[in-house]
Amino acid sequence: MSNATATVTAVEPKSWGGGRSPFNVSYGKMMMWFFLLSDAFTFGAFLISYGTTRFFSAVWPDPNQVFKSYPFGNNLPLLFVSFMTFVLIMSSVTMVLAVHAGHYGDKKAVVKWMLWTIVGGITFLSCQAWEWTHLNHEGGWWGSFTDPNTPVSAFASFFNTHKVTAQALSAHGLQATHDFFNYFFTITGFHGFHVFSGVCLNVMILVNTVNGTYERRGHYEMVEKCGLYWHFVDLVWVFVFTCFYLL
Amino acid sequence: MALCRPGMGIRIHLFLFTLKLFTTNKYSMSTQHHNAGNVQHLYEGDQSALYSGVMQHHTDINSTESRAQVKRIWKIFWILLVITVVEVVMGMFFSHHMPRALVAFLFLALTLLKAGYIVSVFMHLGDEKKNFLITIMIPLTLFIWFIIAFLSDGFFWLHMNTTSPTRNKQTTEVVQQVHEK
Repeated sequence: MSNATATVTAVEPKSWGGGRSPFNVSYGKMMMWFFLLSDAFTFGAFLISYGTTRFFSAVWPDPNQVFKSYPFGNNLPLLFVSFMTFVLIMSSVTMVLAVHAGHYGDKKAVVKWMLWTIVGGITFLSCQAWEWTHLNHEGGWWGSFTDPNTPVSAFASFFNTHKVTAQALSAHGLQATHDFFNYFFTITGFHGFHVFSGVCLNVMILVNTVNGTYERRGHYEMVEKCGLYWHFVDLVWVFVFTCFYLL
Repeated sequence: MALCRPGMGIRIHLFLFTLKLFTTNKYSMSTQHHNAGNVQHLYEGDQSALYSGVMQHHTDINSTESRAQVKRIWKIFWILLVITVVEVVMGMFFSHHMPRALVAFLFLALTLLKAGYIVSVFMHLGDEKKNFLITIMIPLTLFIWFIIAFLSDGFFWLHMNTTSPTRNKQTTEVVQQVHEK
C-alpha cells in the first residue's frame, strides 16, 4: 500500500498526517467492511467446494427439475426462486432508501423504509422455509440418499433424463443427489441464517430510530452499517442463485 | 471475484457536494493544517469530525440532489430486475440448447454485473476513497486462484480417479455417454 499512500499524500498532504481518517470512513464502518470481506471468503469457500464436488461428479441434479414447484402448483421451474430473488433485491432497495433518508436526518422516512426492509426479510425467510419443507418432503436433507438399496426412481425426478443415461443415473445418481442436498441445505441454511440475523439487526435499528437514539446522536450511521450487512446478504444470494438455480 | 472485474459499476460522485460543504471544516480534506491541540478528544469521543464521509447529513430530503440520488437507486433496481429476468428466461428456455461453456460464461458475467452494481451503488463503495476501495478489493483477487485451482482439481479427479476400479470404469463410460448425448 506504500505506493498508494505516497500518491495520496502528494495530492492531499494531510491524509496520513494524523488527526483524521485517511480512508475518510469511521472505525465501525471500516470494520464492517472487513467483516464482510471475511464473510465473503466463508461463502466463497462453500460455493467453491460445491463447484469442486460438481466437477468431480459424472452426473448432477438439474435445477429445472429440482426447483420446479411453488406453493399451490407445480412444474414451473425457477418461478418461486425468482420471486424470492425479487423480494431480496426489493428489500435491498428499501434498505438503501433508509440509508439515504438517514443521510438527510429524516427520521420518519428511515422508520418507513426500515419497516419495509424487515417485511422483505421476513417474506424471504418464509419462502425459504416453504422451499426447505417441500424439498424435505421429496426426500432431501443433510445426509439423505445414502442407502445403496435406494431405487433409482427415488431420485430420478431430480435429473434431466434427456441428458443423463439410465446407466449413469444408477451408477452415480445416488451419490450426486446426496452431495447436492448436503450442499444445498448447508449453503442456503448459512445464507438464511445471515438473513435472519440481518432481520434481527434491522429490528434493533428500527427500535433505536423510533426511540430517537440516532436523532440525539446527530447521525444515522448505524443504519448505514447495518445496511452494508443487509446488502451483503443480497450480494451472497446473487451468487447462490447463480450456482444452485441457474448453472 | 465480484469486486475485481475491471471498471466496476458506475462511479458517480454524488457526494462531492457533501465534501464541498465541509471545505470550511478545519478537519476536512482540503485543509492544509489542523489544530493539533483539539485532536486528542476526537479519538475519545465523537469520531464524526475525523472524517467527512457520506454519513454527514443534510437537511432537505426534497432537494434536487436528494431526488437525483433516489432516482439513481431506482435506476439500479430496474437494472438488477431486468438482469434477473434475463437470467431466469435463459435458465428456463434456452440454457439447455446452448453450449455448456457459453451458458456458464453468460450466467457468471451477469452475476458479476449484478454484484458490481450492488457493491458500488447500494453499498456506496464506488463513493468511498479509492484507497479504501483498493484495500477491500485486493484480498478478493485470491478468489481467482481459488476458483481455478479447486475446479480444475475436481475436473482432474473425475477423470483420473483410480482409487476405486469399479468407480473408475463406470465413470469413464458415463462421461463418454454424457458427452455423446
